[in-house]
Amino acid sequence: MKLGKLFERLVQLLPVLLGVSAIVFIMMTLTPGDPVDIMLGDQHVTEEQEQALRKDMGLDLPPLERFVKFIGNAATGNFGLSFYHRQPVMEVIASRLPATIELSLAALVFALALSIPLGVIAAVKKNSLLDRLATVSSLFGVSLPGFWFGILLLMLFAVHLNVLPVSGRAGFSSEVPPITYLLLIDTLLHGRFDAFGDALAHIVLPAVTLGLPMASILMRVTRASMLEVLEQDYITFAEAKGLSRYKILVKHALKNALIPTVTVAAIETGSLLGGNMVVETVFGWPGLGRLVVESIFVRNYPLIQAAVLIYAVTYVMLNFFADILYTVLNPRVRL
Amino acid sequence: MRLKWVALCTAAMIALPMAAAEAAELRIGFTADALTLDPANHRNRETQTIIRNMHDGLLTRDSQMNVVPELAESWTALDPTTYEFKLRRGVAFHDGSPMTAADVKFTFDRLTGEGAMDGQTSPRKSLLGPLKEVKVIDDRTFHMILEEPWPILPAMLPFQEVVSKAHVEKVGTAGMAGSVSGTGPFKLVEWRRGDSVIMERYDGYYGGAADIPPMGKACVDRVIFKVIPENASRVAALLAGDVHIINGLPTHNVKQVESNPNTRVMAVNGTRSTFIALNNQTAPFDDLRVRRAVAYALDRKLIVDKILDGNATLIDGILSPDAFGKNEALPTYGYDLAKAKALLAEAGHADGIDVTLDVDGANKETAEAIASLLTKAGIRTKVAVNEASQLKARYRTKGKPIDGQMWLTSWGNGSLDPVGIFVPTHRTAGRGNSSGYSNTEVDALLDAANTETDRAKRASLYARAEAIVNKDLPKVYLWVAKDLYGVSNQVAGWQPSADSRINLHDACLK
Amino acid sequence: MTDAVSRTELDLAGLRTESLFARNMRLFATSRLSLVSAGVVLAFILMALAAPLFAPHDPNETDLFRRLQPPAWMPGGEWAYLLGCDALGRDILSRIIYGARVSIFIGAAVILVATTIGTLAGLAAGYLRGWTDIVISRLVDILLGFPYLIFAIALIAMTGPGLGNIILALAYKEWVIPCRVVRGETLAAREIEYVEAARAMGGSRRYIMLREILPNILSPVVVVSTVRMAHVIILEASLSFLGLGVQPPTASWGSMVADGRSFMLDAWWVSTFPGLAILLLVLSINVVSQGLRDAFDPKFHD
Repeated sequence: MKLGKLFERLVQLLPVLLGVSAIVFIMMTLTPGDPVDIMLGDQHVTEEQEQALRKDMGLDLPPLERFVKFIGNAATGNFGLSFYHRQPVMEVIASRLPATIELSLAALVFALALSIPLGVIAAVKKNSLLDRLATVSSLFGVSLPGFWFGILLLMLFAVHLNVLPVSGRAGFSSEVPPITYLLLIDTLLHGRFDAFGDALAHIVLPAVTLGLPMASILMRVTRASMLEVLEQDYITFAEAKGLSRYKILVKHALKNALIPTVTVAAIETGSLLGGNMVVETVFGWPGLGRLVVESIFVRNYPLIQAAVLIYAVTYVMLNFFADILYTVLNPRVRL
Repeated sequence: MRLKWVALCTAAMIALPMAAAEAAELRIGFTADALTLDPANHRNRETQTIIRNMHDGLLTRDSQMNVVPELAESWTALDPTTYEFKLRRGVAFHDGSPMTAADVKFTFDRLTGEGAMDGQTSPRKSLLGPLKEVKVIDDRTFHMILEEPWPILPAMLPFQEVVSKAHVEKVGTAGMAGSVSGTGPFKLVEWRRGDSVIMERYDGYYGGAADIPPMGKACVDRVIFKVIPENASRVAALLAGDVHIINGLPTHNVKQVESNPNTRVMAVNGTRSTFIALNNQTAPFDDLRVRRAVAYALDRKLIVDKILDGNATLIDGILSPDAFGKNEALPTYGYDLAKAKALLAEAGHADGIDVTLDVDGANKETAEAIASLLTKAGIRTKVAVNEASQLKARYRTKGKPIDGQMWLTSWGNGSLDPVGIFVPTHRTAGRGNSSGYSNTEVDALLDAANTETDRAKRASLYARAEAIVNKDLPKVYLWVAKDLYGVSNQVAGWQPSADSRINLHDACLK
Repeated sequence: MTDAVSRTELDLAGLRTESLFARNMRLFATSRLSLVSAGVVLAFILMALAAPLFAPHDPNETDLFRRLQPPAWMPGGEWAYLLGCDALGRDILSRIIYGARVSIFIGAAVILVATTIGTLAGLAAGYLRGWTDIVISRLVDILLGFPYLIFAIALIAMTGPGLGNIILALAYKEWVIPCRVVRGETLAAREIEYVEAARAMGGSRRYIMLREILPNILSPVVVVSTVRMAHVIILEASLSFLGLGVQPPTASWGSMVADGRSFMLDAWWVSTFPGLAILLLVLSINVVSQGLRDAFDPKFHD
């Protein structure tokens, strides 16, 4: 049953990826702007020299031929050379992806750590001042333009208070050999607590900026599902049996109430990846989002193609993961 | 005696770890990351700026933009198509191997040969014009042979860095993207892509260009180029003391950086000419009187004073005041509202005209200021912001019909030689001829100057061409903005350079 | 995947939880806040409509001699320019008042277009099922696979910035959200007795979809649209941040915040006040949406 579902999902993935590729390709073909001219910048260049570069970048072929070639190569995992880096697209992306993953995970952890306790407290103390305060303030998180909030945080903590670094992913003197390529984990694995602290200081502001809207959403989901669970018969039964309030909350209620939270968190993580580009720009975070935006502006077609495919696969897989999670955790739902 | 020895040893033992902890580390807050570390495989100013601290070239420029020898000791033109170069003695790559003429030949073969980089062709090939081949005479001597006279060869050589033949053959072009064995004052420690490039001093450095004192090893132990693309964040990083030098300091932050007790502003004349490209092909700007009306209606000084806080030099032709061949006697179009209105009326537009000024997002503010000034003169101007790549496609049509009326744009010219800016922006169907301008006399002058080897004659050809375009006014020439750097007071010995290179060899930290 | 998604979408809107009692209590507790927020939203709309009456200056009048003039209460400020001036010496207060027009219009237009398309597509997919459902669901999957901003940036790079294109770039994908909600609700409504009864009585498909199902699933659609409208206003700001906002000299709050951000260190007022305007409006819309959600909950009407 599960395996069949997985297979079905993988088959469904193919038309989605093909559709995404085709849309991106068509959009890029229709968008004015010549990658060769943009790359050559402000210089005197003869026509022959320009044509040679065009050929070198594979742009001398007609669009349809380029698309067929791209699909053929992509099927074998070859996404070609990035126009501007002049290195394999996958290498360039791989060099930036860990930073994006790390930031997304940090934002996720922040969101969960903030939203679950708040959601639970709000549900338990339903209609209290605390509940209303938590509910309304959770709306703040989704009511702020991320980049504006990010700059405000930056001004406060990095400039006026000068307690956190302004920009970037890690300090200047904390090189550690990569293991997982996630700095927060690698520094710990190497026992470099100074470097860990440094990496943490760098990630706090971007993670908070990125995670706040998600925390708002998750807090409301947790609160709602917690309220639902608290009214279930088995909780009433447990109360009747005289179990302590704390035990009921943690052992019985929370476990069930977290199912929707976790599911939504999985799905929202996908949108974190996409929402990254703004936060990455503000905080100089060396992630994929910034790279993709820059690539669109300079018409770096191969990189855009590959990155969009990665986003699409991630999105589909996260949704699939959410489905599985929902089914596994919640026996009442049939897929 | 003995006691003194012990004391010295103890002092050394204490001093050693302290020195390690306080290694002089110079950090640059920089607008963009390097695209690659391979000097032959990019076409990008920022990449060049970073790489140039690890790689030296045959020639370089001092802070006054004079071309001086670096890895070369001297050069002479044997005839208009043959240049003889002598290399310095005692230059070694970071891996310790000596640099010879064979490395130079390898470098230039790799730059100019089609598919010479494991199948890729160098995008820098076109920066070497008609270079045919490099002929090795002996270990320290080689000839550069050109297909036709190309007087700007020395001006273009600072853009190329010499690589190690052995190293390239070892790591291949794929490996060159992330590894460095150069001859520059700093060695690569780590490149954290998108975040920073970390370098340390190369102790085997030969000392650098003889004409740019001080000679010797680099002053600081480590250098870090930290990528901070967002303007406010970059300035904040300087003010917070996270970095010591930032490039691209916005003009409105100048006062702030100056009033901060720990920082100062350093400015250098830039090489980028800003202008409004007018579409000469269609009405209304096919009429010289209307083009001149725009020039007279524009209070350029007001905009420079208010928007650029005075950090720009006005120009009346395409060339920067520092450029070779600049015509010093160009008449200027001063601010004269009445004259602008009269010219418009004379052209049959007594009621004014409605036009659209295209601009990319980065220069929106300036465009809006220009539009409001023009509107006062009856040239009712609407600003349309668009993506730079799209505007290039619409205006730089190489002689084909242009889609648009006026475009606030600029053209950079790192070599400060007119070939890099005058030819592409004004020659008929040139790459950067965003006005659809065509004047056979200008074309002839530019072509003649291209191969003229007599400096004085060449300069006068450009001066004559510039006088013509000043009269024809295919574009309204605005200004050359200064490049502004925010610098910590801890930094000493460093000078910004007009070609936007950040050469850190001489920089020290107090 | 759409099943789980629409489920969680409903969780988000809080439509499947809480007892009648809890609902009553909370409705009571929050209604005053909702009312106030609705008042704020209305005030903003009124301000937008009657902008010329409220604005002290022409929002596009530039005066380079007032460049970055501080707010009235700071040294160098003057009361005629209450919130100070921007980089071109334009009155920030007047621009905020006029900017309300653009921001609210973009939000409303995008949501109107997206909700109409999304509801119809969702109804068709959920009720007709079969190929219609497969095609629509696949299209939804493809569009969802794109990160929102990348798609919008690419679309604007293609068509050029401008009010119409911004609305297009945001609505292009936005319809997917109501579509998923409506599809899920329709699937459920299909099986309800009165719909089956209507079917048995020989009602046409169009009649059943538009007259029987639509009214019954309208409440989640309204709730989702208000939440998304708030989101769209923020997205417009993000587009401006990436340099693809409305055309000058028009002010939108998003473009004001984005253009002012580089002055944060030396002239904080340029981007802070429009930022606060966004916060106040979007927060109010979100509170109203929460109140609507409470009031519209089907369980409440049962």
